[in-house]
Amino acid sequence: MVRMDKFKTFLAPFCGLVFGLFILMLIVYLTASLPIFEREGLAIYTTNVWKASENPQKEFYGVLAAIYGSIYTSVLAVLIALPLSISFAVFVIDYAPKRLKEPLMVATDIMAGLPTIIYGIWGAFVLVPILKEYVMMPLYEHFSFIPLFSFRPVTGYSYLSAGVLLGIMVTPFASAIIREAYRSIPYIYREGVYALGATRYEATKILLGYIKPAIVAGILLAFGRAIGETVAVSLVIGNVFNINPSLFAPGYTISSLIANQFGNAYIYKYMVPALFAAGLSLFIIGLIVNLAGLMYLRRFKYAR
Amino acid sequence: MNAIETEDLHIYYGKNHVIKGVNLEIPEKSVFAIMGPSGCGKSTLLRSLNRLLELNEDAKIKGDIRLFGKSVFDMDPIIVRREIGMVFQHPNPFPHMSIFDNVALGLKLNKLVKSKNELKKIVKWALEKSALWDEVKDKLHEPASALSGGQMQRLCIARAIALKPKVLLMDEPTANLDPVSARKIEELIFELKKDLTIVIVTHSPAQAARVSDYVAFLYLGKLIEVGKTEDIFENPKEELTEKYLTGRMG
Repeated sequence: MVRMDKFKTFLAPFCGLVFGLFILMLIVYLTASLPIFEREGLAIYTTNVWKASENPQKEFYGVLAAIYGSIYTSVLAVLIALPLSISFAVFVIDYAPKRLKEPLMVATDIMAGLPTIIYGIWGAFVLVPILKEYVMMPLYEHFSFIPLFSFRPVTGYSYLSAGVLLGIMVTPFASAIIREAYRSIPYIYREGVYALGATRYEATKILLGYIKPAIVAGILLAFGRAIGETVAVSLVIGNVFNINPSLFAPGYTISSLIANQFGNAYIYKYMVPALFAAGLSLFIIGLIVNLAGLMYLRRFKYAR
Repeated sequence: MNAIETEDLHIYYGKNHVIKGVNLEIPEKSVFAIMGPSGCGKSTLLRSLNRLLELNEDAKIKGDIRLFGKSVFDMDPIIVRREIGMVFQHPNPFPHMSIFDNVALGLKLNKLVKSKNELKKIVKWALEKSALWDEVKDKLHEPASALSGGQMQRLCIARAIALKPKVLLMDEPTANLDPVSARKIEELIFELKKDLTIVIVTHSPAQAARVSDYVAFLYLGKLIEVGKTEDIFENPKEELTEKYLTGRMG
């Protein structure tokens, strides 16, 4: 017991360090963004303005467009990643030939670990032109009366491009979680569902119901990754302060906004606090999404 | 008439020969016990009857299995499994579904009911048949994971018989239950055999003696002896059977 306690006292500071850093960071974010709140109040989050000026009197910042773009592109990413990652997980575990299983899993795990700039440059030079030519243009020409497709895709840099790219990028993460959960479903449940005369499709549907908590966890992780992704998105989103319902319109995201503006932000009196406040909003969104996920998962507390 | 017959049945797992030329005739509306020590292949044999064994890609089956005279290998495995229900050693109701949904699942999957009312009726019937109705009628929409082990196993029986199968396979259904729950399941077997044929696997000769009309003794994948339960227990012809029954083996 004594030895155990020593080990405990050895470990405790590390736990404290990790948690302390987190709290410290939160405090820094709050204090650093304080000036902008004192000046504008919540207008920083509720307006869409970006007025930088050497005269602090004329400065005004509102990051609503970036918040909108962050949520828009991340939701798109999750909508794309979810069917992809579930299908992929089920295929790898249930159908892939034994020799292919391991290579397929390793390949997706490598995909998850690739530097995101690799996706970004591919997205900007390959994905965007293809999407513009074969997806956006045809949809715009025939369905522009629908608000989603109402913006004329001039450059191709858009919410859709960012959403698709993010969807591709987060799929390996969501898929890994879903795959591991799907693989570890006790065999007795597989036998149980087939013994009732289920087809493979029906059995898969029921077994996916069994791992719903893991699927929710996969969604949360995917959303978190998507909303935080910076470089790749800033290459394909267009970086325009714009709020538009259309998938084909260019926009901004919080992380790309910070990345693009931080270089010259120190010149202005209120821009650095504005960027910190933008970062804080990401923090809050992440908190809300994770809490919502946790609350949803609570309902699934059952004995395994 | 025989509900199930096997003819020169051989089963292999890869290179392992686990069932070696088994011939069985299982009469309709009887309880047929397959007993033998652990690892003798009795669960494998049972799983071959409803073609559930084929979920395992390594398993190879040779010989024939007939359900009321018709080879199961000429039937769609989904139909075979609908006609031959199964209850497992570990109670396995789906924990993420309610008690009601667990029983209704097979009916929904096989599209056997036309209306919600009919579904409710059959679910109630199945729960009554499996002696669970009185215990769960007020919490049909609570998760199945809230039940005790014995209740879960009866729920699994209800889930299986809701499809009105002709045959029910039971793979050591009481192995993980306390004695009281186990006795309830055994009583249930007596009730159920009025309507269907039951094939039960057990490692306990005592249980085989209590519940079955016929018994087969399986040892290392071979069928050693088969016959009416009282004949086998009173008068085993093979030395191995006698050794097993008197507890000197397995």
